[in-house]
Amino acid sequence: MFRNVKRAFRRSDQEVLALDDVSFEVGEKEFVAIVGPSGCGKTTLLRMAAGLDFPSAGSVLVGAHEVAGPGPDRAVVFQQFALFPWKTVEENIGFGLRCRGTPSDARAAIVARYVELMGLQGYERAYPQQLSGGMQQRVAIARSYALDPDVLLMDEPFGALDAQTRVVMQEELIKLCRVNPRTALFITHSVEEAVYLADRVVVMTRSPGRIREILDIASVRRREAWEKLEHVEEVMDLESFVHLRTRIWRMLREQQEGAAVPGVPAQPA
Amino acid sequence: MAASVRSASATGRSSAVSSSATRATRDAKRLGGQRRAVLALAAIVPLLILWYVLTSVTHTVSPGRFPSPHDVYQAALQISHGNGYAGGTMSRQVWQSSKLVLMGFAVASGVGVPLGLLMGWSRRAEALINPAFLLLRPIPPLAWIPLAILWFGLGDGAKIFVIWFAAFVPAVINSHTGVRNLDPTLIAAARVHGASPPQIVRHVLIPGALPMIFTGLRLSLQASWTTLVAAELVGAILGLGHVLIVASLDIYPGMILYAMIWVGIMGAAMTKALGVVEKRVIPWRS
Repeated sequence: MFRNVKRAFRRSDQEVLALDDVSFEVGEKEFVAIVGPSGCGKTTLLRMAAGLDFPSAGSVLVGAHEVAGPGPDRAVVFQQFALFPWKTVEENIGFGLRCRGTPSDARAAIVARYVELMGLQGYERAYPQQLSGGMQQRVAIARSYALDPDVLLMDEPFGALDAQTRVVMQEELIKLCRVNPRTALFITHSVEEAVYLADRVVVMTRSPGRIREILDIASVRRREAWEKLEHVEEVMDLESFVHLRTRIWRMLREQQEGAAVPGVPAQPA
Repeated sequence: MAASVRSASATGRSSAVSSSATRATRDAKRLGGQRRAVLALAAIVPLLILWYVLTSVTHTVSPGRFPSPHDVYQAALQISHGNGYAGGTMSRQVWQSSKLVLMGFAVASGVGVPLGLLMGWSRRAEALINPAFLLLRPIPPLAWIPLAILWFGLGDGAKIFVIWFAAFVPAVINSHTGVRNLDPTLIAAARVHGASPPQIVRHVLIPGALPMIFTGLRLSLQASWTTLVAAELVGAILGLGHVLIVASLDIYPGMILYAMIWVGIMGAAMTKALGVVEKRVIPWRS
């Protein structure tokens, strides 16, 4: 998907390299999370996949095609939900379908399915402002899912939620992905969240944003049968989980310490 | 009066506990309206009493300077019957002024709001229009009256033109700001969910700018009233401003005050009506 991507920004007549030589691929129906310190360009990567931003060099491909602009095949769930305040829950979920020209009865059926799947029954006609943050993000996820996109892009979707809601949403997302597997790119700064949710975790470094390492979580998850455990905290107690989490933390920490010594090549641990 | 307010708020509190959350907020709002009406009366009634006492009981204020309630009543009687006063009955005068305000306001918002939206949406349109707009803006609308009279004579056309100019500016500026202040993430969200530019305008830009558009419309309406009365003072054959100037030449304080009261009532009624429309059009802002 990402091939030698570079992105430079102009800040007061200075070129700042935000992303340098980032290459990785997200497989079909694979859930990839990107973790990294703020300012490592992870959101920029996601925006490029969405077609809201473009690389200065290299290319971003979805399927066989280079990304030329935004499209409903790559729906985005934003950190700040970005629901339309003037549309009801139903109208928000059905927004993409309406833009696509889906007939209203077919649209209503799809909307009803996602209302049920996300536990939003009874709130169909509510406006986003009347809902809690967690409910709003459910609506946003449903809005993206309803389009049946090839790729689901999530930019710190739970970053604006309180800790308890966040855990509930993580569990729900896991369930949703099990029912409805999707190629997904997930940005987060929470190491736990990345390890819990993703098949693979891309760890990034800062200024310029580079890939530090890509960890395979799926094989560990399968081997240790994380799926059998229902709750986040049970998975997080497992030795295999703790091990992965510690590894990632160590990588992130060594960056902070290494920041004073630029140019130190990052070696896999 | 104070006792009834207190008991009303007490029931409000108990119902908030007993009923569902939405019921409770609705109750609270209704009680707020009641309380507000009580407070409004509490402010207006003493003023009316004071007016009556000073002009009619103690005669502190001479009727030549400020009319008594009875003078105003006499004036109201005169203008309501037969040929009325200054060219017509009060209902005709009020209708004439309201008609011009509504027409000027409709034309101004019909042109101003789309223009403001366009300027907010397209940088090119903004670059094209804004300089001319910035030059025309500081000219007070009333300064256009002489030119308007030259162009359109003393009839309705001149007044509609001047009102249009006065109401146009706030309509444009606020619609423009409404689009400019729109959260860019919402536009991005529309784009990544497949919205085309016309769909973005319809589903995101216009509803997103609506609160600001209505702020602009409210200012426009106020400007329309102010300008109309001023324009009628300068030259008209009918209308509230015309009544005011004729009554002033006749040294008729009762009629002056009666006409002013109607200016106030109509201005408030139109603002209120716009508020009702706003609540209808923007149901999500509760």
